[in-house]
Amino acid sequence: MWTVVILAGIATFAMRLSFIALFGRVSVPPSVERALKYIAPSVLAAITLPALLTPDNAFDAWNFYVPAAILGGLAAWKTRSIGAAIVVGLPSLWLLQWLFG
Amino acid sequence: MSNTTAESRWVDGVSDVAPILLSVAPFGLIFGVTAAAADVPALAAWASSFIIFAGASQIAIVEILDGGGAALVALVTAIVINARMLMYSADMGRYTVSTSGRTKAAVAYLLTDQAYLVTSHRFPDPKTAPSVLPYYFGAGLGLWTTWQITTTLGMVLGAAIPSSWSLEFAIPLTFMALLVLAIRDKPGLVAAIVGGFVAVAAFALPYNLGLLVGACAGVAAGVISERWFR
Repeated sequence: MWTVVILAGIATFAMRLSFIALFGRVSVPPSVERALKYIAPSVLAAITLPALLTPDNAFDAWNFYVPAAILGGLAAWKTRSIGAAIVVGLPSLWLLQWLFG
Repeated sequence: MSNTTAESRWVDGVSDVAPILLSVAPFGLIFGVTAAAADVPALAAWASSFIIFAGASQIAIVEILDGGGAALVALVTAIVINARMLMYSADMGRYTVSTSGRTKAAVAYLLTDQAYLVTSHRFPDPKTAPSVLPYYFGAGLGLWTTWQITTTLGMVLGAAIPSSWSLEFAIPLTFMALLVLAIRDKPGLVAAIVGGFVAVAAFALPYNLGLLVGACAGVAAGVISERWFR
């Protein structure tokens, strides 16, 4: 366990430092810089959608996470705030579980 | 966090991550509870919070080793899960070009989904942004402190937190909100749709590779679709 934790810690730090350390030493082509803009939406969607649609490691589009997350996402979109998603989404899930669970 | 200001203050960094801490805190508790219940050395699990400082990979290590998995599998899984840090590093690097090596190391150590996302959201253009460092360190240290406290608390409290609260749902909810805020234009929307659905289609791949496959497909789709919307 200790070995895994320490090696994973070193590897994770190296990945975090990688490009931060490289920038300024090598110049970045504009096409690459343009692509960087799409990292945030791509990664976030690639984290969020599987988390919602494959609970318990099996595809299931009809689970309570989906409507509760849509409500939370709408709240975040309307208010431009992340806290709103939690304040709306989590009670929505509780309500759905209580009504239909 | 919708208003973009020209100033970079650590208090703004702290106040922008404050709502995110609402989901980091339960995530930290869940990790602590999982680690305390697992058949792994408690001290090593606890120390992973500041040695690795990346929740999803920490949970993966504990779960794999608890299930009797090989150490090498746990290590490779953790590295693959954290490979998205390469992408964040590539973007954050634009903000830290002219800083010292020591500062770069500190920026790298505190680099997380949330710290990167709030910073790139408030200061979308590194060319016009002031030094983002005070803001970034405010956000990063707020997250770091919360993570250390809540993972410790989770290990101490253990099973006292009922699972019926579904606190684990706070994690996808936060990412949902970050996603909504990260979509700034039509190519960004295309990137998100492609990235999300490719990741769902690839979810059965081992080592969480679906995340990376989806993310790469999303970035490619965003770049390609720029031409359509011009």
